[in-house]
Amino acid sequence: MIVKTIELTRTYRRGLSYIVAVNKVNIEVEETTFISIVGPSGSGKTTLLNLIGLNDHPTSGKILFMGKDVSRLADKERRKIRLQNIGFIFQTFNLLPTLTALENVELPMALANVPHRAQRKRALKLLGIVGLTNRLQHLPRELSMGETQRVAIARALANDPEIIIADEPTGELDSKTAQEIISLLFDINRKEKTAVIVATHDEKIVKLADTVYTIQDGKLRLEG
Amino acid sequence: MCLRNLFRRKARTTLCIAGIALAVMSMVAITVTITSYTTAIREMNTFFTGDILVVSKSQIVIQALPISGGNLIETIENDVKGTPGIKATVPLLFLFSMELRSTIEMIPINITVGIPPGNWTVLTGSTPLRTGGSWLSKNASDEILVGSCLADLTGIAVNSTIKIGNHTLTVRGILDTRSAILGRMIIMPLRTAQEIYHYPMTVSMIVAKPEEGVNVEEVADRIENELNNPIERIKALTSEERNSITDPLLDEVNMWNLGISSVLFVTSVTIVTLVAIINVSERRRDFAALDALGASFTSKVLIVLTEIGFIGLLGSLIGIFLGAIAAVTIVSIYTNIPIQMLFPDIFTIVSPLLLTKTVACMVTASCVAGLIPAIAATRTSISDILRAEY
Repeated sequence: MIVKTIELTRTYRRGLSYIVAVNKVNIEVEETTFISIVGPSGSGKTTLLNLIGLNDHPTSGKILFMGKDVSRLADKERRKIRLQNIGFIFQTFNLLPTLTALENVELPMALANVPHRAQRKRALKLLGIVGLTNRLQHLPRELSMGETQRVAIARALANDPEIIIADEPTGELDSKTAQEIISLLFDINRKEKTAVIVATHDEKIVKLADTVYTIQDGKLRLEG
Repeated sequence: MCLRNLFRRKARTTLCIAGIALAVMSMVAITVTITSYTTAIREMNTFFTGDILVVSKSQIVIQALPISGGNLIETIENDVKGTPGIKATVPLLFLFSMELRSTIEMIPINITVGIPPGNWTVLTGSTPLRTGGSWLSKNASDEILVGSCLADLTGIAVNSTIKIGNHTLTVRGILDTRSAILGRMIIMPLRTAQEIYHYPMTVSMIVAKPEEGVNVEEVADRIENELNNPIERIKALTSEERNSITDPLLDEVNMWNLGISSVLFVTSVTIVTLVAIINVSERRRDFAALDALGASFTSKVLIVLTEIGFIGLLGSLIGIFLGAIAAVTIVSIYTNIPIQMLFPDIFTIVSPLLLTKTVACMVTASCVAGLIPAIAATRTSISDILRAEY
């Protein structure tokens, strides 16, 4: 088991009222599994992924990461886990605009103090996997959206994480490119044996996922 | 990564560096120019350190130079020499040549000094002569020594002749000096100067060398008490008294210098802080993404500090380089010393200590100024930023 949440809750204060973005969620993410979370905008998908990805603190409940309770860990420890064990793919890519594709993929390894030669070798390999060996020295603004998302996928894989968390990875893409990205994510899930958890509206992802959850008003429900 | 960010945002980086460079340049140029002036003024007093200068009561003395006012009858030298506590005396006749130009000149075009032969060192100290020159003989009459700056400006060489009035004077030696005062001097025998400029039996001042161990103040007072009379009113100035005339002025100048430099320093730091704040606020998303990837607090602070430190370092280095050139140019214009003469002495005019201190201050200030935005960058809430800004 990579991730397990117990009664995970996150509330926000808006003025005088409180909004329950994630409401007592229990979810289990096994090794090599592909999970999709479906729900309308504002249903709590991104908040849940941020909690699982240790980008946010739960109001109550627990997050067990590889059996260890990480819900109350110090920021330093959470960062370490994010760096070594979790790969993020964002809807809006979030590549660093002043770094080339190659440098963006090397970045997480540089942060983890991987020797430069090893960084370069792995970055080249990952960019090969996502089919971008001819775009190594291009800046994000010189890449198409599909290419940019491929770089983001390669970056997410840089430190060989146990889990990839993708927040609407095809949301900004046209259907053909989206299809390519979906195939890529499934390939990675199968070949790299990495668990993938995706928040999406994309029916194709939902159809192919091992497990599908729906989320509505912060409440998560397993689909049959 | 941070340096790439600077290199790939060339326009902004260049403008930031230019802003800092301009502020540092102004700071260095103003400081150095003012320091050069105050040094030149203080330098005048080094000619007669410890000596008593006897001048007419109406004479205005700036440090060691009698600028204007009445002269003395030469015979008073014997009275001064006869004062208890005085070992030796040297009478001097000073003649200044000033021209009204568009710029205010700190140093006159030339300073002619008449001095009894054999007493040159009272004025020149250990200043050497340029190759080929020689000191004036004890019997010299129509021979002169010229300062290097004046010689270079007018093309005078050893054994050249110059004509003043009906006198043809031969240049026997050229003083090899960077001193703004000595460099512009024409030194000639006292009698010759008195004759040429029609000051018979007249001197501007008498340098009185006190005996060792005496109280110079007391000797000066004694000279004033014993030699003052209704016909010849004199004053005897010690080094301290001469300094006390100009020190308040110089202190005020230095205070203004400090004030202006402080304002420019604060300006530079403000520029750096603004750059840091803009850099961070514009890249909130980048920092949030870095955070999401697991970048440590130190990594993010280092990114901001390296960028700001680099801008501060480069800006201050360029500023110092330009400031040094500006300072030398300003000093050259205002002292009328050819710029090519000043450049070999650039590190005397612009001291390495000042340069080092300026760079160190700017880099430190840059880093301190960048620290606040850097810490702000580490406090970004990843989930809020990555969600809210799209």
